[in-house]
Amino acid sequence: MTEKRKAILLSISLLIGFIIIGELVTGNGKRGGENLTEYQQLMGMGEPQAHVPGPLEVFKLGFKELSHPFYDNGPNDKGIGTQLFYSIARVLAGFSLAVLFALPIGFLIGMSPLFYKALQPYIQILKPVSPLAWMPLALFIIKDSIMSSVFVIFICSIWPMLINTAFGVMSVKKDWLNVGKTLEMGNFKTAFKVILPAALPTIFTGMRISMGISWLVIVAAEMLVGGTGIGYYVWNEWNNLDLSSVVFSILMIGIVGMFLDTIIAYFSTFFVYQE
Amino acid sequence: MKQFLKVKDLVKKFPINNGKEELTVFKNINFTINKGEFVSIIGHSGCGKSTVLNNLAGLDMPTEGKISMLDKPITGPSLDRGVIFQNHSLLPWLSAFKNITMAIHCKFKDMPKEKAEERAIRFLEMVGLKDAMNKKPSELSGGMKQRVGIARAFSIAPSLLLMDEPFGALDALTRGKLQDQLVEICDKTQQTTFMITHDIDEAILLSDKILLMSNGPEARVAKEIIVDIPKPRSRASIIKHPAYYEVRNYLVDFLVEGSETVRQKLLDGNLNDESFPIQVNPYQEKINSKKLQTA
Repeated sequence: MTEKRKAILLSISLLIGFIIIGELVTGNGKRGGENLTEYQQLMGMGEPQAHVPGPLEVFKLGFKELSHPFYDNGPNDKGIGTQLFYSIARVLAGFSLAVLFALPIGFLIGMSPLFYKALQPYIQILKPVSPLAWMPLALFIIKDSIMSSVFVIFICSIWPMLINTAFGVMSVKKDWLNVGKTLEMGNFKTAFKVILPAALPTIFTGMRISMGISWLVIVAAEMLVGGTGIGYYVWNEWNNLDLSSVVFSILMIGIVGMFLDTIIAYFSTFFVYQE
Repeated sequence: MKQFLKVKDLVKKFPINNGKEELTVFKNINFTINKGEFVSIIGHSGCGKSTVLNNLAGLDMPTEGKISMLDKPITGPSLDRGVIFQNHSLLPWLSAFKNITMAIHCKFKDMPKEKAEERAIRFLEMVGLKDAMNKKPSELSGGMKQRVGIARAFSIAPSLLLMDEPFGALDALTRGKLQDQLVEICDKTQQTTFMITHDIDEAILLSDKILLMSNGPEARVAKEIIVDIPKPRSRASIIKHPAYYEVRNYLVDFLVEGSETVRQKLLDGNLNDESFPIQVNPYQEKINSKKLQTA
């Protein structure tokens, strides 16, 4: 058996083991018996109690949700696909905005030691700030909860890209720059023909980190501002005490996050080079 | 013969100890290169050979002194001066072919695309790499990469070609093959060339004259050795020429002892560097001394 097949087999066994153990340790929330008094029935005692769902219950719910992912029955009842769509749209908007800022500024910092030294303290202070700390300020200035969460994504994804772009530009080999010089390339041509292609793999690494962080932050941001999105959905289901939906969303958040990372990784393969 | 390149009183100082002191790498460097000449420079590590080459390329400026090519001072890098770097310096994200077409487009800005591509293929053929043209540098062996570097440098038809230990990083067999190829190309193109090398045999095989540098710091170009062996040369036939051993012995003597003796004498003030470099033709001297003996 090849290593790959062994790994697949092990993965599947782990899944089966997880389902079995999950089913054994979780209950179904059923309580009382058949013979409830009218009063007890009125009090909702016939309904199952809130409980941590077993894997099969989550799968069942997942199947139901995914067969109609895009419905919209008002603010408190939207399909999982609709909610994810809102979140992805916000992440992409904030992320793209960050790309527009991070790449040119990163280039500038990487190419000019003066700007590097001058901007370094600001970056070092702003980078460790939790993006959610910007939320009140954003809400006050922008006065729009959706745009505010886009801003929060922007502010959290700008740093890794900025730093990686600057680092990528700074570490372009001197020999390659000398090739540009001896070929009498101007600054502009050197930037696009030598520095950019040399730095692209590093820039893409920054983009992957940024995208990962954005996807982490959007859930928290949407929990805070509410309305739409997967973060709001999770919090809403928590308020409904529907833990199956919560577990299902956790799974979906993970899958979408993986998907977003894979897309950037795929694009980066066109620009990666081997020395 | 026309003086094509003229180097006059070149000095290079580097700041050391955080700029508190200065280290003079070399000083009073004087030499000329004529059109079509192949000139090599040999010296121990640290004497500043690479700095001299970078000064000629315009990648680095001397502290004092003048370099002029065809009576025009060198103030920066130029497409008139092609450089073959020690470690090939191909751009790794471009194929061998694209590396060369990029250089061609930089030099011949108005050349149509097809013409430029034809030219690139012609120069890849010249170094025997047409079949590997679409490979990325990482897919090529060290020798092949260096050949692409050579093709790139020749493709822009520079007036002066500068080579910084072009085969230094290669194994002996590959180096030999590339030297033969280079001899052939240089004979064909009459390329004016300046080369740094550590390999005495390589220097004799390729050069019309060899500059010898004394040990640093404050290194000088002390001698200018005339290689009095007719061209075209080949690795196989050159060792049969009587001048070969005279030149070779002279070079070995200088590198083993002379380069340090010159430095010591200059330090002690027992040697005047005004007439440097002293021109020597070891083969002619040998003939003259024989004539004296028989007379």
